[in-house]
Amino acid sequence: MDQNLVDLTEKLSLSSNKIVLTSSDGDSFEIHEAVARKSQTIAEMLDAGCTGTIPLHNVTGKILDRVIDYCITHVKEDGPFEEEEEAEEKEAKKKWDAEFVKVDLETIFELILAANYLNIKGLIGLTSQAVADHIKDKTPEDVREIFGIENDFTPEEEEAVRNEHAWAFEDSK
Amino acid sequence: MGQAPSSTAESNGREIDLRLISPVIIERRESMDRDYTGDLPNECLAHVFQYLGAGDRKRCSLVCKRWLFVDGQNRHRLSLDARDEISPFLPSMFDRFDSVTKLALRCDRKSVSLSDEALVVISVRCLNLTRVKLRGCREITDLGMVEFAKNCRNLKKLSVGSCNFGARGVNAMLENCKVLEELSVKRLRGIHEAPEVIVSSDSLRSVCLKELVNGQVFEPLVANTKTLKTLKIIRCLGDWDKVLKTVGEGDSSLSEIHLERLQVSDFGLSSVSKCSKVETLHIVKTPECSNYGLIDVAERCKMLRKLHIDGWRTNRIGDEGLIAVAKHCLNLQELVLIGVNATHMSLAAIASNCEKLERLALCGSLTIGDTEIACIAKKCGALRKFCIKGCPVSDLGIEALAVGCPNLVKLKVRKCKVVTGEIGDWLRERRRTLVVCMDGDGSEATVAVDGDGEVETVVGEPRVGQAGGGVPEVVSGNGGGSRLAMIRSKFGFLGGRNLVTCTFRRWSHNDNGSTSSST
Repeated sequence: MDQNLVDLTEKLSLSSNKIVLTSSDGDSFEIHEAVARKSQTIAEMLDAGCTGTIPLHNVTGKILDRVIDYCITHVKEDGPFEEEEEAEEKEAKKKWDAEFVKVDLETIFELILAANYLNIKGLIGLTSQAVADHIKDKTPEDVREIFGIENDFTPEEEEAVRNEHAWAFEDSK
Repeated sequence: MGQAPSSTAESNGREIDLRLISPVIIERRESMDRDYTGDLPNECLAHVFQYLGAGDRKRCSLVCKRWLFVDGQNRHRLSLDARDEISPFLPSMFDRFDSVTKLALRCDRKSVSLSDEALVVISVRCLNLTRVKLRGCREITDLGMVEFAKNCRNLKKLSVGSCNFGARGVNAMLENCKVLEELSVKRLRGIHEAPEVIVSSDSLRSVCLKELVNGQVFEPLVANTKTLKTLKIIRCLGDWDKVLKTVGEGDSSLSEIHLERLQVSDFGLSSVSKCSKVETLHIVKTPECSNYGLIDVAERCKMLRKLHIDGWRTNRIGDEGLIAVAKHCLNLQELVLIGVNATHMSLAAIASNCEKLERLALCGSLTIGDTEIACIAKKCGALRKFCIKGCPVSDLGIEALAVGCPNLVKLKVRKCKVVTGEIGDWLRERRRTLVVCMDGDGSEATVAVDGDGEVETVVGEPRVGQAGGGVPEVVSGNGGGSRLAMIRSKFGFLGGRNLVTCTFRRWSHNDNGSTSSST
């Protein structure tokens, strides 16, 4: 995968614009404009005339680092190189994505927040799916335990909701 | 092991966070000391819920009040068990589910369904419904539907099955829902005795009538709705020639017509032929239709692109009608013939003249054999997808496809008793880009050229021909074809397609998989 990244960055140097993103805790990242534009938020800023350094007050360095990795890996999508993607590349990306979300929940939540703030569609989907995967087929008690959530229903309230649910079919999605 | 993250962490000179490398997660209680989802705005939480099915969403809404709220606010689709006993729960349910746009109410046959009052309770709380399905709601009357219609004016799709209300209820929907586009009515019992007819609409684009008695009351709707593009009448009793006559006399903009298991004669077909804009026509199991009706259709429906005929083996539609199709329907892209005894006489003509024909399915015919396949192969230049099912075709006919139909990408051969699996492999070797699906290939679903006459793509992975040399690919055994697949992979790298082919041919003479290798 690393060699591909090198090839890719070489390809991208066609558009040689570099953007610097700074995190809330002072880290700086220099990336190609095409990578930065994976974020709709940043793309809009750039279109509105921002140049050079873009401060991202809502994202820490640790998270921004990962977000940038995602953007680099996925920069080819809806870009000028999209047609060149082969099935092998798609498979490799899938595997990369699967590894990407193999992190603790706290990090995933931070990633969702960052993806949401930066408006990176693919990353929002990937991280949302990852959280959903933790919820799938779990009981409410399990889910509360995993996410550290307190049950604020009274027994009567909970009973009322369960009664309602008896009427809703599982198969509707 | 985490790849990119940890390596980047290194290159930035930061400590590698061990948490990034560990496979994660759920077991470690210590980090979950607070509600991390509390950091997420509702829209993000709602987005997560989108990836969950209804069962999981139900469980989510029991986690805490906030999750209950977010789930309810973002539930757009709801399917309810519409028994009468649900009534007391409806107000609180729909207080929560206030964003529902797609609603299904299903009641089983043995239970008493919810009543008119309950339907109204739902409708006042679901003003934004766009799609509604009612199944088995036998207690709902015209009155209930009238009230429902007045509240749910944004409805675009309505599908009703096994209900007891009648024309008045349907008309109320048509009159109040000014943007209604699709209407599907099946087994609506209230129209049996009705003197009332169904009025026309200004917005309806698609009407489907199924299993109706006295369905002819829909005549003004289907004949006078100017916006109507799709009309399907399936297994409805009584004579339909008159309705079709009225349809044909109007300035119809219908582009798709399905007639199935109906009492329709050539007279009705001739009326259909007057709908000059028809592009898709399904004539399924209508034994009173003959070649004469088909000839009328062929001559007048110049824009016909998709034609499905299920002749039900009654022999009333055959070469004569199809030759007319060949002569006049030059835009034909898709042809499905089921139970139609066509021969090379008409098929050759179609193959030669219908230069845009891309998809062809021939099923259950007594007369379609190797000659027919050969002439299709020879003449059908544009064909991309070909399905042959239950016809007296043999390996010889399939062989012809090795050189013909230059644009063919998919071939399906099913239930042709004397066609062997080996010819399929042989063909795959000859044509690398052709996907060949045959009986005994393993994981595929049934070929869907059924009562509906749909030509559909196969489910499951068919095998494409493999190169003789190069990396042998072991196709995972899925039943019938697996022995051949394993054999191919063994011999693949010995090169020489001829070796492989000869091997197959020899083994085809052995009855059960004797694994003696060739010498």
